[in-house]
Amino acid sequence: MSYRARRTIAAYFMILPAFSLTAVFVMYPIVDSFLISFYKWDMLSVSKPFVGITNYIYIFQDPLFLQALSNTVLYVVSFVPCVIALGLITALLLNQKIRFLTFFRSAMFIPYVTSLAATGIIWQWIFNDQFGLLNYFLGLFGVSAQNWLNDPQWTLFNMVVMGVWQNLGYVTVIFLAGLQGISREYYEAAAVDGAAWWHKFRMITFPLLSPTTYFVLILTTIDAFKVFLQVYVLYGESPGPNNSGMTLLYYMFDKGFNDYHMGYATASAYVLFMIIFIFTLAQMTLSRRVHYEG
Amino acid sequence: MRNLFIYIPLVIIALFVLGPFIWMLSTSVKPNGEVLSVIPHLIPRRWEFDNYAKAFASSPFLLYFWNSFFISFVETAVDLTIGAMAAYAFARIDFIGKRALFLVLLATIMVPGEVLLIPNYITITNLGWVNSYQGLIVPWLVSVFTIFLMRQYFLSLPQELFDAAEMDGCGPLRTLFRIVLPVSKPIWITAALIKFVGAWNSFLWVLVVANSPSLYTLPVGLINFSSNEGTVYNQLMAAATFTVIPLVILFAVGQRYFVEGIARAGIK
Repeated sequence: MSYRARRTIAAYFMILPAFSLTAVFVMYPIVDSFLISFYKWDMLSVSKPFVGITNYIYIFQDPLFLQALSNTVLYVVSFVPCVIALGLITALLLNQKIRFLTFFRSAMFIPYVTSLAATGIIWQWIFNDQFGLLNYFLGLFGVSAQNWLNDPQWTLFNMVVMGVWQNLGYVTVIFLAGLQGISREYYEAAAVDGAAWWHKFRMITFPLLSPTTYFVLILTTIDAFKVFLQVYVLYGESPGPNNSGMTLLYYMFDKGFNDYHMGYATASAYVLFMIIFIFTLAQMTLSRRVHYEG
Repeated sequence: MRNLFIYIPLVIIALFVLGPFIWMLSTSVKPNGEVLSVIPHLIPRRWEFDNYAKAFASSPFLLYFWNSFFISFVETAVDLTIGAMAAYAFARIDFIGKRALFLVLLATIMVPGEVLLIPNYITITNLGWVNSYQGLIVPWLVSVFTIFLMRQYFLSLPQELFDAAEMDGCGPLRTLFRIVLPVSKPIWITAALIKFVGAWNSFLWVLVVANSPSLYTLPVGLINFSSNEGTVYNQLMAAATFTVIPLVILFAVGQRYFVEGIARAGIK
């Protein structure tokens, strides 16, 4: 047997465990999920009639799904700009040769590594209408107490606050790595010309940071479309008052594991998948372009 | 003066980030009367460490802790072993079909795990694994991200290392475990930390697969405790504290690897 044939056999042997597990638990489900979305099935019974695209037609006429879609989009367009702006500001501050850099950087990261189950309960306590910290704190500035968790108009706000809090450290760390990749020479040249910091930011930092910004933008957007757990925990295993916290993923969970409508559940999962897929494609084309131009 | 403009906003941001945790700790050691006071205070007038004992006694948290640890440990150990094997083959062996197989594997990163929830639950049901450790663990034994992270690192190692191993008659497996892994410590620590934290915090899968408290992990057990105890906030915060603490310690120990790993994976 030739050297190359022997090596090929060895390679396949080494890939086999990882590849077969991925095939069973990732690749097969992608196909299976798509197929199930064309059937009416409750997962328990033998009866599983083919219904074509009826499930897709149903969900797009279901007011609850449309609410989930609009809530999710509203969350994405509010959360993403907030977390990117705050993350960029924090990274710029941390990039100033400050003391305690490691402390700040690590502290920022703690919410990202702690379980949403625990942090959700903490925020539930902070948002408590009678004894919560937030109402007390705002009261110091003369703001009247709000019923944060029972008033649907605050649901989006609560979700965004918790989402930003959870992801700020992650976004900051990626921005910080991007900032540290910018050569100091540009700034030294600008300093010789006597440029103001705002000028330096606009002419040097922001353009050179754009590949990182694109990356963070796409990543946080994809992540934000999958919002579910923070609602589930914050509102005590419910989608909030008047379903104000119903999201695409919550809808899928609800249809699948509360109503046992596997067809609706997988159809909504595929809608979510398609949305995310488009953003992933956008990321790949954009990052290629940014890369070649940069 | 210039420094003030940097440190003041930084302190405000740090308070926003850490404030909820400080408040959690403060509430967790307050007696009932002080928790529900209209004018909250940070330092308890009377320290009530008993909240921890009470929370610990009213739910099987020790069991949840063990489940979390066992599940996360097994997933991490297996993921690192078979992930490193696959990564080594993709990085260092020239074989037929390599490019195509790697692209197929890489493409799966794009698929959000949540989409796989229902078909995987059906697979687990068909295998008779609902409400079992196998059901909780097996679907998560491999993460393509680990393979990708390690492959990038193995590609950067010098060719001489591999030539020398081969000269000594080492096969690929021996080369990987005896020579490559010992010099790849930073990357496998990073991969292990990311995998472990992910497994420890995993929620949705445990929620649907574990039907009895004997299989709950800390996060799911905590939510269960919360729906039973509702408004006993001092005990709830005590329970939240011991859910959070193990990971904060792990993070404190490995923060360098963790933060650099995220930055590296983020920037590529």
